Amino acid sequence: MRTSRKRSISSKLTLMSVLVSGTALLLACAGFFAYDQITFRQGLLRTLSAQAQIIGSNSVSALIFNDPQSAFVTLAALKGSPHIASAGILTAEGKRFAQFTTEAGGEIINTPALGDDEIETYRFGSTHAILVRKIVSDGKLVGFVYIRADLKEIDVRLWRYALISAAVLLLSLMFALLVSSRLRRSLADPIIALAETAQTVSRDKNYKVRVPSSGTGDELGTLIDSFNEMLREIQQRDAELQKAHDELEHRVAERTRDLVSANRELEAFSYSVSHDLRGPLDALSGFSYVLLKNNATRLDDNGRDALTSIRAAAKRMSELIDDLLNLSRVSTSTMHREKIDLSIYARSIMEELCRDHPERKVEFVAPASAEAFGDDRLLRIALDNLLRNAWKYTSHHDRARIEFGQQIANDRIVYFIADDGSGFDQRGAARLFQPFQRLHSSAEFPGHGIGLATVRRIIQRHGGEIWVEAAVEKGASFYFTLESNRARE
Amino acid sequence: MCPILQNEKRGKCSARASRLLALLFLLLPFIATSAFAQQVHPTESQVKAAYLYNFGKFVRWPTDHPNADSMAICILGKDPFGEVLDSTVEGASIDGRKITVKRLVNAADISKDIAPCSILFVSISEEGRLAPLLAAAQRQGLLTVSDIPHFAEHGGIIGLVMQENKIRFEVNRGAAEQSHVALSSELLKVAVRVIEKPPQS
Repeated sequence: MRTSRKRSISSKLTLMSVLVSGTALLLACAGFFAYDQITFRQGLLRTLSAQAQIIGSNSVSALIFNDPQSAFVTLAALKGSPHIASAGILTAEGKRFAQFTTEAGGEIINTPALGDDEIETYRFGSTHAILVRKIVSDGKLVGFVYIRADLKEIDVRLWRYALISAAVLLLSLMFALLVSSRLRRSLADPIIALAETAQTVSRDKNYKVRVPSSGTGDELGTLIDSFNEMLREIQQRDAELQKAHDELEHRVAERTRDLVSANRELEAFSYSVSHDLRGPLDALSGFSYVLLKNNATRLDDNGRDALTSIRAAAKRMSELIDDLLNLSRVSTSTMHREKIDLSIYARSIMEELCRDHPERKVEFVAPASAEAFGDDRLLRIALDNLLRNAWKYTSHHDRARIEFGQQIANDRIVYFIADDGSGFDQRGAARLFQPFQRLHSSAEFPGHGIGLATVRRIIQRHGGEIWVEAAVEKGASFYFTLESNRARE
Repeated sequence: MCPILQNEKRGKCSARASRLLALLFLLLPFIATSAFAQQVHPTESQVKAAYLYNFGKFVRWPTDHPNADSMAICILGKDPFGEVLDSTVEGASIDGRKITVKRLVNAADISKDIAPCSILFVSISEEGRLAPLLAAAQRQGLLTVSDIPHFAEHGGIIGLVMQENKIRFEVNRGAAEQSHVALSSELLKVAVRVIEKPPQS
């Protein structure tokens, strides 16, 4: 590519200089040749005229005294003159008087006619030129002299010109090649360097390269300087941008580090609290069980009720601790994303629920498959929470319908779980995903208020969003996305 | 050839006319010769009269020569030309000098100032008195011309002779020098014979 461009520019330059010099030379040669032709003809005519004048005045006596021999002697003097093919003298009546020829064989000459007031005339033919002049003595016409010149020399000159032209053309061609190689150094090379640099910049995004300066103050030099200046500016802006970016990155990393450590501390704290709470709770639960079992007969009904209440509270607290530990685990466990089918999980969870509560009449709808990309364990926990929620809040209805599905909205895959259960006032929706926040009393629907907080944590860890639409006694629909940008790719 | 076409206005020539002209050019030599053949050849006296006049063009007389504005051709003896000479020189001039013809009765008239001559034609009738006549003419600086046989040899300047049925002339340069008459080389060139010796007096 480089070489071809190089060749094309330099060959264009070569062609240009060769064409220009060749055309100029040809035109000049043609001009010179035309000029030479004209001057040659004029010179020839002048010579012929002078010769005709001399011969005419030297032949007056010969004509007057009727002496052709003398006229021939005069004519024969032309023998040494170049170009002369033949010459002759005619009497005033037009009779042939004397003739001299260098050509073999006699000739009949058609001399051009002379007007009354003309003293001389000429005619140019293809091979010969003829000039006729009156011979006048004391105002009286005594005869005519004609001289016929050979034009062979014109051909000779033509050839000579063609030869010289060809030689000069060849020389100028060589000169043009020389000039073009020089031109390439001063014209093509900077352009090629510019093109190569531009290519490097656009291909490698390397703004560090510079076009070597041509060192000339012409437009090309200005172009190269401007190009370099542009590159320098881009590079500078690039550096500034990179600097700002690095700074930001650094700051983000710092903040993230801080956040992560703060979060870890918080989680470690909540984990240890939960864990440490278990010991006394287990003791509470265990001893109350032992008390109830071994000393049941010693207690009256009130005592037994109190013990049962203690045991129930201990159990609820244990569950609460489990949920808290779960939430903590969900926040800290490492994610392992893969391709999974949420529909299969949803169905297995629903089957389990139906098995545990065969008395309920719940219709479950789910698609054949609902592909997702996420952590297998975490998403199963999220689905479990949501479906159990739906199951729980439809329990007051005789018949219920729970649907799991997916839809596309704003280029995102949105999964949803909808039920036609008790629902709630939409105004409380924002509080719903906070831990320990509940819209129903424990008496109405059992629960600890940790489940949806856990779900939200899982969805957030997948880079998704979760929201809910609900109305009292009209059911609730939970929507969530996973990694908001994925569907777009 | 050309003179026949002299009066043709070339500008008016159409293509057809010029083709005709070309044909004419080719045939001209034949037309010209045949036309000329039908013409009456100039008589001997016509040719001689023309020569007499034309000699004046190739001769220079001494600068103190009396005749400035005219040039007289004088005929001594029996006039062989008659009207022919008069018609030949009528209206003619040489170097701006008008040509006149004078007829002299005897040799003594040569010396007379009332009849200044430039060219003296000696008639054949004067053959017997040639020597004194030539001496007188020499003194006057006249160009002597005659068709008397051996005229130039006998001291005349130009002698007309018949050669190959054509009228030619002989020149005696010595005689011309003695008469202070300068003959042009052009004239000598066409002379059949140039005699160098001066006349034996």
